Amino acid sequence: DLAEGRRLFVEGTEPACAICHSLADAGAEGEIGPSLDELRPDAARVARAVRGGVGVMPAFQETLSEDQIAAIAAYVARAAGGG
Amino acid sequence: MMEPRFSRRGFLVGAGGATALGAGGVAFDGAHAPAAAQEGGLPDYAAWKDADALIIHSRNTMETKRGAVGSGGLTASDRLFIRNNLPSPDASITADPDAWEIAIEGVARPGTMTLGQLKRLGVTSEASVLQCSGNGRGFFTHGASGSQWLTGAAGCVIWTGVPVAAIVEAMGGPAEGATLMTSTGGETLPDGVDPASIMVERSVPIAAHAHAMIAFEMNGAPLPLTHGGPARVVIPGYYGVNNVKYVKRLAFGTQESGAKIQTSGYRVRPVGEGGAASQPSMWDMTVKSWVTHPLTDPGSGRVQIHGVAFAGPERASGVAVSLDGGQSWEQARFYGPDLGRFAWRSFVMEADLAPGVYAVASRATAEGGSVQPEDFPPNERGYGHNGWRAHAVELTVA
Repeated sequence: DLAEGRRLFVEGTEPACAICHSLADAGAEGEIGPSLDELRPDAARVARAVRGGVGVMPAFQETLSEDQIAAIAAYVARAAGGG
Repeated sequence: MMEPRFSRRGFLVGAGGATALGAGGVAFDGAHAPAAAQEGGLPDYAAWKDADALIIHSRNTMETKRGAVGSGGLTASDRLFIRNNLPSPDASITADPDAWEIAIEGVARPGTMTLGQLKRLGVTSEASVLQCSGNGRGFFTHGASGSQWLTGAAGCVIWTGVPVAAIVEAMGGPAEGATLMTSTGGETLPDGVDPASIMVERSVPIAAHAHAMIAFEMNGAPLPLTHGGPARVVIPGYYGVNNVKYVKRLAFGTQESGAKIQTSGYRVRPVGEGGAASQPSMWDMTVKSWVTHPLTDPGSGRVQIHGVAFAGPERASGVAVSLDGGQSWEQARFYGPDLGRFAWRSFVMEADLAPGVYAVASRATAEGGSVQPEDFPPNERGYGHNGWRAHAVELTVA
């Protein structure tokens, strides 16, 4: 669900998504990866990036369950674009 | 919220409004970039770029529009693509380039040298194609994440730098049995992150150091921060990620870097599979070409069809052009200066076009005999697409 997705985004991953990405809804101002408010990815694109990594973004498929990945993807797709 | 997905159907099938071909630079010029990024304009570190010539995918990723790469063989610096894996360091690092320090390890006499000291050891210059591993990702249809580059994450520039071979020789030669050269980028990393998880550090076979250089100039001007200034590694013939920007360390040894960007990143693997050190790494580039002009209706009659062709570490020996989607081919002609085997060649084919619809494709051949393939198999990260069918352009001549 979205609350769990937000919790994972802010502090539930190693490194935390919020360290590298900016997403206003999560109060995240990370500068490493693209701004998610700017990129406005859909859930499928987020899930794929979280699972397999993109460029320097690490892959999280070993450390997160499919449900956790789906929760982050649903949350980011919903929250992005609001910034 | 959905990013527009363009379907790539069989090229001959009439596609109603959409371009039947996977390419048709016209249909994609800027049209599909996330609107916010496009409106946002250029970030400071790239403010000097020609925004009209670029498709801005994000703050760190911008590609040259297909028709904006020019027909003179070299890509102007202000329209060369940008792909930063990490945000660039502060611009102050380019204030005094000669003070930039690089640690050289895995040599008989290791040590840290400034760029000024390294410049005393030798100088070279080489024209080469700089191309992102993901160039052409937008032509795949399995939805690989990452920038949906088409042809524009590639350019051909002239680098000036200190030959790595001269550095290694001056420091007593590589360590015994060294098989790899590893370069480390100087970007500052945020706290709370395991450096190995996001740092830019890449290992390549040691043989590559024969042509590699620590570049400090691009197209005759000081290497800008945007492209790795004050100093970056340039390994002609190798994909962009290996040409580490803001290089602060060069090491020779037998162990590949433990950074994720090497162990699991930039690995070619089937769709759905995670990255692993057992899979091939994005190292040397393959034979490839594409048409850059015309991309819109040139009007009937005599037309010059231009494009670019290259073959990574090999010289491109020829290129053929088809007007009917690959049913028949005609040899095109290279024109302009030959800037060496690592540069791309401009090609032209003159055609007399009657009104009608043409599927214009180009197919390059490398000196070693390899030929640009019709298709390239989809892979998880959407790397290395050089299939000529997807790169073809549909021209409707009125």
